[in-house]
Amino acid sequence: MNAMNVLTIVLMASVTYLTRIGGYLFLRDRNLSPRAKAVMESAPGCVLITVIAPSFVTGQVADLIALAVTAVAATRLSMLPTVLIAIATAGVLRSVAG
Amino acid sequence: MLGFVPFALVLGARASQKGLSALEVPFMAGANFGGGSEFAAIALWTSPPHVLLIVAITLLVNSRHLLMGAMLAPIIRHLPKRKALLALFFMCDESWALGLAEGRKTSSRLSLGYYAGVALPLYLTWVIFTAIGALIGPSLGDVTRFGFDMAFPAVFLVMLAGMWQGVAAARPWLVSLVVAGVTCLLVPGAWYVPAGAISGVAAAYFWSRTT
Repeated sequence: MNAMNVLTIVLMASVTYLTRIGGYLFLRDRNLSPRAKAVMESAPGCVLITVIAPSFVTGQVADLIALAVTAVAATRLSMLPTVLIAIATAGVLRSVAG
Repeated sequence: MLGFVPFALVLGARASQKGLSALEVPFMAGANFGGGSEFAAIALWTSPPHVLLIVAITLLVNSRHLLMGAMLAPIIRHLPKRKALLALFFMCDESWALGLAEGRKTSSRLSLGYYAGVALPLYLTWVIFTAIGALIGPSLGDVTRFGFDMAFPAVFLVMLAGMWQGVAAARPWLVSLVVAGVTCLLVPGAWYVPAGAISGVAAAYFWSRTT
């Protein structure tokens, strides 16, 4: 195992465990403000969309259309069909676009 | 539980293509056990990894655990602290939701046996199938051919659809997408990640005050 990889994973696991026990240990008798709740609820989505943002700005029309089709599929279907549609759409559109 | 399998396979395969070994992948899945944060981390993984960036992103993705743990606290209050802290290690969206529903039904005390029966199979599924994904990942070859690389954003979009709580709650996501996209075009490197994440969270903070 690579030392940097292991270090990163150990630190990830540590902060994740702190988030798991933090609410139980420190917040159980407190009412969180609606604002804190709103921030905590939207933060994961903000991060996930941020991480895939580069695939939205590749400048490839085929990729953009494939992402749009995938987004529609994601709202209606479960994970496996969505992924298959994403792969097929991107594959076909890219070969059409050359 | 079966729903975990394709997620785990995609994550493991992608992680192995990013250079994580077939031991490191299940180690991450088993020690961290938070799918969203692991997908984000693997998407950003480089060799060597940006340690602080990945840890900060992990914290942001998993911050909602604080809320979940606080909501679980009343129904695990009867447990000795040592057992409660162990049980919380296995808290994920699914075990939390089922545990909360069961605990509230049965005199507001969550049975540890019920919780373990839900959480442990989920945990084992996650670790085992990310490991299998890591083993088959290298044989997939160049993923940008055929559109296999689109599987990864597709998983993210499915996770986002699962978090959807209406247009108002999703407005910060749009802020993140636009800011991250523009930053990605203008600034080289991974700066689009803090830029997008922070601007989205700031937007959520701002909008929660006005509404």
